Amino acid sequence: MNGGLTKHLNIIDYTLSSLWRRRARNASVLIVFAGVIFLVASFQFVTEALTETALDSLRTAPEITIQRLSAGRQTEVPLDYGEQVASIHGVREVVPRIWGYYFDEVTGANLTVIGVDLERMPLGEKLNLTLAEGEVPEPGASGWVLVGRSIKRIVESKGTAYLSLFRPDLSQASYAITGVFDAVTDVLTNDLIVMDIGDARDLFHISPAAATDLCVYVANLEEVPNIARKIAAALPDARVLTRSQISQTYQVVFGWRSGFASVCLLTALAAFVIFAWDKASGLSPEERREITILKILGWETSDILAVRFWEGALVAGGAFIAGCTGAYIHVAYFDASLFRSVMVGWSVIHPSLRLVPSLQVSTLLLIFCFTVLPYMAATVIPAWRSAIVPTDSALSGM
Amino acid sequence: MLIELEGVTKIYNQGQINEVVALRDIDLRIKEHTLNCLRGASGCGKSTLLSIIGCVIQPTSGRTAIAGLQPARMPDRFLTVHRRRCIGFIFQNYNILPALTVRENITLPLVPLGLSRRAMAERVERLLQQFSIGHRGNFPAGRISGGELQRVAIARALVNDPPPSSWQTNPRPISTAV
Repeated sequence: MNGGLTKHLNIIDYTLSSLWRRRARNASVLIVFAGVIFLVASFQFVTEALTETALDSLRTAPEITIQRLSAGRQTEVPLDYGEQVASIHGVREVVPRIWGYYFDEVTGANLTVIGVDLERMPLGEKLNLTLAEGEVPEPGASGWVLVGRSIKRIVESKGTAYLSLFRPDLSQASYAITGVFDAVTDVLTNDLIVMDIGDARDLFHISPAAATDLCVYVANLEEVPNIARKIAAALPDARVLTRSQISQTYQVVFGWRSGFASVCLLTALAAFVIFAWDKASGLSPEERREITILKILGWETSDILAVRFWEGALVAGGAFIAGCTGAYIHVAYFDASLFRSVMVGWSVIHPSLRLVPSLQVSTLLLIFCFTVLPYMAATVIPAWRSAIVPTDSALSGM
Repeated sequence: MLIELEGVTKIYNQGQINEVVALRDIDLRIKEHTLNCLRGASGCGKSTLLSIIGCVIQPTSGRTAIAGLQPARMPDRFLTVHRRRCIGFIFQNYNILPALTVRENITLPLVPLGLSRRAMAERVERLLQQFSIGHRGNFPAGRISGGELQRVAIARALVNDPPPSSWQTNPRPISTAV
């Protein structure tokens, strides 16, 4: 075998026995470090999983959504706006939609109510794909609702199959639950009620000649930005939202939450790095003596650094693998139960979605750079400072 | 000549208030295959002289030639390699690492040599038997007696014996008691 390779194998052997000698200290560092990496990685994985889930759910959303603003606030859109938009070249269909919120006093939840026109909605049949049970009724039917899983549970707990809501004049309207959304889309549909647009107008007392927003479907997806610009020019009081803008908003929302949490965690990470640095830079007299003896016995500075490097790499690498694996299991199998309230709860009814973290090399690299590299530096640099001391100076200090 | 020193002087903390002249104008010649003993009063510079011979410290002035090489002209990295190949150390207080086993302590000088595990084990085993400490091989060095510790230190000083193929060009190792 090559002498250089054998030498490195011998050094790794020495490193392993050195790690074993200080096993209590190394194990405690590894556990604390793995815990810090677990927290950082969990937040990264949750953010990515939530963003992916939300973006998945947006695939059936219209390419462009038009809302009308008055005094900077959203107001009803007259249906004749739709006729103007439909005349723009490239627009396939314009469908009115009701999007409102219903405050349920019993649960204290703000439920999202969407009224859709199944006859005109080009992607109406795809709604079926998002349902875990039941199906979307035939176009033209009324008195039905599709609900998220939490709402289904609330209705079932009352011992009825009908969802009862109150109109603004406090008269009651009841709807048959014909479908329940799949858990995969929980992040968006958990507190959602979808109903016929006529029923939604009736529930919110909206005029039949108006809607809360218009959904615009475009023939050529490449033309979406151009058509959005034309709509904005034709309807100055309208707010025009493209699907990609909504996607970006989701990413920003989840990114902001993750970023906030990460900043909090960075404090813990920084504390750990300072601790590691302090621990490593303040080499104990025994460690300094060991380095000096090794140098006198013929170990080069690079050999000593190799030992420290492998020590750091094994501890930090072990902690990295354990932390990331733990984070993946935490997110994928326990649905990030430690951080649910921070990451997914902007409603009283928290979604019970299934998260599937997408493992990306860039994410792992980011976590690696923020955790393993500082630790390695904190381990190797002090040893290097100690090892480059001339042998005679080191000897006089023994 | 294995060791040659000419006009060697060593001054610690030169130019400072605590300046100490440890050696002044020392000449010394030692032949191969001889056993030499250095005697002197406490503080007369014996350890300093042995440290210079062992290439651990450099003289302030004078010429040294150790095993055919002149340490004063060698960078620290080459001195390390020179020490590894040609010099064995026995420290006054042995400087054995107490947390390591006897066997590991004796193996230490061999680790950077690039020898196979088997070759290292053979050398160490031979020395363990030679110094009658084979039964202590797996004991932590911190838990053996003073006499055994001394033998471990001697075994460690001799373990870096150059391989026979290089004996032609490299001299036998020098054992230095510091």
